[in-house]
Amino acid sequence: MNPFALTICNLHKNFHSLEVLKGINLNIKSGMFFGLLGPNGAGKSTTINILAGLTLKSKGDVKIFGYDIEKDYKTVRQFIGLSQQEFNLDRFFTLHDLLLYQGGLYGLRQTEVKKRVEELLQRFGLWEHRHQKPHRLSGGLKRRAMIVKALIHDPKILILDEPTAGVDVELRHDLWNYLKKLNREGKTIILTTHYLEEAKTLCDEIAILLEGKILIHDSIEKVIEHSKGDLINYFIEEDQEQVHA
Amino acid sequence: MRNHYWISLWTLIRREIARFMGMRNMTIFPQMISTALYIIIFGFSLGGRIKEIHGFHYIEFIFPGLVLMGVITSSYNNASNYLFMARYDTSIQDILLTPLSYLQMVFAFTIGSIIRGLIVGVLVLATGCILLKLPIYSMAATLIFLLLTSLIFASFGIITGLWAERWEDLALFINYIVTPLNFLGGIFYSIDMLPPWWRHLSLLNPIFYMVNGFRYGILGFNEIPLSISFALMSALSIFLFFWTVYLFKIGYKLKT
Repeated sequence: MNPFALTICNLHKNFHSLEVLKGINLNIKSGMFFGLLGPNGAGKSTTINILAGLTLKSKGDVKIFGYDIEKDYKTVRQFIGLSQQEFNLDRFFTLHDLLLYQGGLYGLRQTEVKKRVEELLQRFGLWEHRHQKPHRLSGGLKRRAMIVKALIHDPKILILDEPTAGVDVELRHDLWNYLKKLNREGKTIILTTHYLEEAKTLCDEIAILLEGKILIHDSIEKVIEHSKGDLINYFIEEDQEQVHA
Repeated sequence: MRNHYWISLWTLIRREIARFMGMRNMTIFPQMISTALYIIIFGFSLGGRIKEIHGFHYIEFIFPGLVLMGVITSSYNNASNYLFMARYDTSIQDILLTPLSYLQMVFAFTIGSIIRGLIVGVLVLATGCILLKLPIYSMAATLIFLLLTSLIFASFGIITGLWAERWEDLALFINYIVTPLNFLGGIFYSIDMLPPWWRHLSLLNPIFYMVNGFRYGILGFNEIPLSISFALMSALSIFLFFWTVYLFKIGYKLKT
């Protein structure tokens, strides 16, 4: 088994003349809880969308467990579960049916996927909402549904783009506990967040992305120790604003 | 690694069928009603005043084309509306994230649209055949041309669903291309009735070849050799299908 869940080498992304990613290099060990931090527009969502195959890279190599994201895309996609920042829940189906189909699309058999859907809906407090169309759910319930959708095929890597944006404190802490449990069980988790508190609570390592470049990549303690200044203060201030909001 | 190939593909096909069957009042019945109205108005009301064409009552002559109009609209709308909507609300990403190959994705969307086209086509065909007491001349030719027509317009639907930026764009293709081609494609008349220049122009209309083949299947009458219709439609189906696979592969308007 490849010791690295993710290897990014010299990753570039241009949107027309705008260079969004400027040569990112990153290695994330298997089983790690990793945080990708940075202000809006730093390139966090672009990076994870490239990993998931939703955005095309301009240059560079990206491998998931040693498999190239483009050449071996079918294998790579089996490994990844992605919960995006924006809600994208198909409005034609009930939550239950949507998840049954989603499991099937990853190759899970009917009996297997039914069991998995029930287990996850119960775990995330969505069971009583299972017959509702997703667009009728509240923001917090939609966020939980997004995470359930990402977990449906029990991926090796869970990528969460701002998973606690807009959710209440209780759900945030409940989610943190669940993610820590998944990580202890061996799942590699990559998280993008604005909240330094979230990164401190959950992550083994973090990288700070600023204007398309990795500014620093280390354990959270070392990042705090090294920076001693403006950048971390920026996150702390923003974090506190969000917490108090 | 799970053996997911067939399960994934079958799930996507089932999902696409469930989507249009869940909205039958929008996706199936309106096409049947409008075709039935065409039969009543052109056949029983106005048709009596029009003399026979190539030995067939007017309603019998136009009936195959009327069925095809329903098939064309259903197959096209299924693919174009779903893909545009899924791009618009980004739920298409649920498909793009899965281990399905691009060929499988396109195959499933195409099959879903073909099935909707076939349901409409077969129901209208059965109803019309009962009302008109019309036996089907060749079931094999009828089904082959029904299938090829549906495949061609499912592919056009996928292409338009990817290309469209606004709801209005989806209607452009049907209003400005398909509808004129339908009316000029020999559904309502024989090309023998046309002046020579118009007759030659009709031969450039792909719908003419679809109607020609399908009319043979139902009535046993064709205006040009069946082999030409079959060859042209098969070539167009294969070209359009692989073009749509290519568009998915390069992520045309699907990936940033």
